[in-house]
Amino acid sequence: MTVSYEEWEPVIGLEVHAQLKTRSKIFASSPNRFGDEPNTNIEINDTGQPGALPVLNKEAVDLAIRFGCGVHAKVATFSKFDRKSYFYPDSPRNFQITQFDMPIIIGGEIVADVEGKTKTFPLHHAHLEDDAGMLKHFSDFAGVDYNRAGVPLLEIVSEPCMFSPKDAVAYATTLRAILEYLGVSDCNMEEGSMRIDTNVSVRPKGDKTLRNKVEIKNLNSFAHMEMGIEAEIRRQIQAYSKRPHEDPRLVVPSATVRLDIDKKETILMRSKEEAKDYRYFPEPDLPPIILTTDYIEKIRKDLPELPHERFKRYTEKLKLSAYNASILVNDKSLSDYFEEALKFSSHAGALCNWITVEFVGRFKDSEIDLTTSGILPEHIAKLVTFIDNKKITGRIGKEVADVMVQKPGKDPEIIIKENPNFQAVHDTSAIEPFVDEVLSAHPQSVEDFRNGKDKAFNFLVGQVMKLSQGKASPDVVKELLIKKMLPGK
Amino acid sequence: MYKKTASQLHQAFLEGNLTASEIASGFLQRIQFLDEEVKAFLNVFADRVMEKAEKLDGKRAAGQPLGKLAGIPIAIKDNIQVRGEITTCASKFLSNYVAPFDATAIRLIEEEDGLIIGKTNLDEFAMGSSTEHSAYQITKNPWNLSYAPGGSSGGSAACVSARLAPISLGSDTGGSIRQPAAFTGTVGFKPTYGRISRYGLVAFGSSLDQIGPFANSVKDIALMMEVMGKPCDRDATNIKKTSEPYLDHLEGSIQGKKVGVPWGFLEGLSKKERSIFEKNLEVFKQAGAQIVDIDLSLLKYSIPTYYILSTAEASTNLARFDGIRYGKRSEKARTLDEIYDMSREEGFGAEVKQRILLGTFVLSSGYQDAYYKKAQKVRSLIIQEYKKGFEKCDIVAMPTTPTPAFEIGGIQDPLEMYLQDLYTVSANLAGLPAISLPTGKDEEDLPHALQLLGPQMDDGKVLHFAYQFEKTLKLTGFIPPLFDKETPS
Repeated sequence: MTVSYEEWEPVIGLEVHAQLKTRSKIFASSPNRFGDEPNTNIEINDTGQPGALPVLNKEAVDLAIRFGCGVHAKVATFSKFDRKSYFYPDSPRNFQITQFDMPIIIGGEIVADVEGKTKTFPLHHAHLEDDAGMLKHFSDFAGVDYNRAGVPLLEIVSEPCMFSPKDAVAYATTLRAILEYLGVSDCNMEEGSMRIDTNVSVRPKGDKTLRNKVEIKNLNSFAHMEMGIEAEIRRQIQAYSKRPHEDPRLVVPSATVRLDIDKKETILMRSKEEAKDYRYFPEPDLPPIILTTDYIEKIRKDLPELPHERFKRYTEKLKLSAYNASILVNDKSLSDYFEEALKFSSHAGALCNWITVEFVGRFKDSEIDLTTSGILPEHIAKLVTFIDNKKITGRIGKEVADVMVQKPGKDPEIIIKENPNFQAVHDTSAIEPFVDEVLSAHPQSVEDFRNGKDKAFNFLVGQVMKLSQGKASPDVVKELLIKKMLPGK
Repeated sequence: MYKKTASQLHQAFLEGNLTASEIASGFLQRIQFLDEEVKAFLNVFADRVMEKAEKLDGKRAAGQPLGKLAGIPIAIKDNIQVRGEITTCASKFLSNYVAPFDATAIRLIEEEDGLIIGKTNLDEFAMGSSTEHSAYQITKNPWNLSYAPGGSSGGSAACVSARLAPISLGSDTGGSIRQPAAFTGTVGFKPTYGRISRYGLVAFGSSLDQIGPFANSVKDIALMMEVMGKPCDRDATNIKKTSEPYLDHLEGSIQGKKVGVPWGFLEGLSKKERSIFEKNLEVFKQAGAQIVDIDLSLLKYSIPTYYILSTAEASTNLARFDGIRYGKRSEKARTLDEIYDMSREEGFGAEVKQRILLGTFVLSSGYQDAYYKKAQKVRSLIIQEYKKGFEKCDIVAMPTTPTPAFEIGGIQDPLEMYLQDLYTVSANLAGLPAISLPTGKDEEDLPHALQLLGPQMDDGKVLHFAYQFEKTLKLTGFIPPLFDKETPS
């Protein structure tokens, strides 16, 4: 059977759960902290003790508002919480406190660069809720760690507005950057502070109605997300192509699937026909969240520079290429590192190259990355300045960089001082033979120079540098050349 | 000593006529000799209370400042958490559950040097109107031991009635303080919703629950309200207003004030009950107040409205009792589902199961609009109707119950039992302060009572009218004959 994939259009929507960077939990005073001993960050609310009551953490509300302002959404002046009932051991009360029909954030948009094209992805809403604990399976029993129970979550729901796996990755990448820039979440996918559920459907190109969507659960990296979406699109198109005359609702029923990474296939977990009745109703223990516009505006005024603003500054003011700018902007820690280096050097282009190519490249196969390596941004700026001032040549610069990676934190100035091979040669007697050799080999250029052609001078300097294997001090070379060609001066 | 009110005991302690130890041991003795017959207590804190009393005596001897409740023994309904003690909620599910924290009401009582003397019986999880639904014992009405004390705070009512404690705490979700107060000839007060923190009260219907005191005088109730009616930041629905000087507001004539009576709603009252009620109204007239007719016809819907909303909330509040973290876990259970099913099957009594089922049903998709949402609308209308009613009068008067106490086992039909709450549930639905006052006894020596309701937040006004009524009526020595005796020491 031949399947023509081009005749189909995928439609993708994402639900992103971002853990909010608050000090304490959303409804309790226990700390919101990852990686501690099981069941140490808990208080009576986190284990659902009878008589415990939830009290809303204002910090979580402020972060949600920050997000809303950052994506140009409407921040609801009235929103409320609801109980969502289901039994599972990781749920300490057997109901989740969430916002069912009146979320705090309505609409908004994510503007992302997809392969050089700027696309706007509309958001449906974002709502606050509490995270569950975590089940741990041992050989013959299971345990529950409630440290995560009650960690504040912002669930960010997009419209079904993405039409390719690349769209979805661009959306998620930009969303993560926004959350990081705003300080709303640290978006660590490995630690689960950013989790993505992906809804995928396909339809014949030109169709306007949506077909049944399938949810891909727990994709824990962007690469897996892309792989999962691709696999699910393929599966659905194949299914529709195999049974073209049947009711599409029966061919691809609503379902939840998971990705098998080895086979690069999606595997059915459960059909949505078995969907649970969560019996939502308003949470009686929590009054509604009522916000004044003054309060919202105060938070809006306080927003930091956002990724697209930084991108604009990099491309327009710093004249970085769009490609380089987006490499930096999408990685907040790298971009912040670059910002720090910029304080010590104004050569943005060179800095960007040295950081994103030379230094990042040197950590490519390493466990650590540049920003946490111990190499100071100031030192990279210093290295760039040395090269720029011709104190060292670019070629030596690369060798110095190697040493900086081996000995993180070591000042390049000291590295150069300690290694004679890294120092430019200032000794006239060492450089003079090269100058004489070049002058006798290029009489025409000497002539041109005497006739006032600067280009010829630069050529001659270059030739001497070459002979010295880049070690001669350019200033000394220039001085000697002038002295020899224009003896009277 | 047992004839003294709480305020009188406190005075006697301050003046040195009685030591705290004498008071505590006196009441412990009464409990020891008389509770066999009443079965009001589930747990008596003999050591704890004596230790606290001795400390108080030491404090007094040392001339240190003493709290407002110094020297007053106080019994606690066993659905309120007292740290380090078992909280059973009269359920087998929690037979070994040790409270990990103090309810705010308990903390406030201890800060004012109150003597927590023990925990009292109730209908399991406060669901019932007779205290027959306790998993442990059946509490008797001190006025006639073959009669029920009412419920669900039957133990707290009975112990104050039999003078086993001068004060007790109950909780009132639909009448659970006022109805047993009426049945046992005690004063029982349900404050405005949110006046006393619910932190540490095991939730039944979160939007309806209130802790409140039982006593043998309105003055004692006012004293307890001064102590417990304080803002608490651990309960988001708590009123964030400082405590009122309730005791100062008791005096002052009610001459010319208006007592509203919803005659239309009271049409179904029996001839006997009507004549008792009318006699009680005469007391107000004697005190100079006028009686006015007000329209509260929507109250006829209050029973179904209440049973839909309270069970809906209860079905989720009780979901935490699942056999995972604390309390009952069925020994027969082998799988997760069996832990849930069997632990709840074995741990809960029939009335609790019935209400969980009802609450689950009214929240289910397909039924929520017809039941839960409609009931919410009726609740809003009832609140409106009360607001209008209070434009015409200062206070509303109604009987507390349709009948006096009934025999143990006398009501088998659950719907008939639910009708016990006919006159009490509307105060919970509208969040109003309401008090039940003893007004005498009938030819069978069973107490009868009057209920007064005030506008939201006007707890002080309700206590003022109640005090003036009590003063005018002059019901003295209203002690059940069986318990109006000294116990051997």
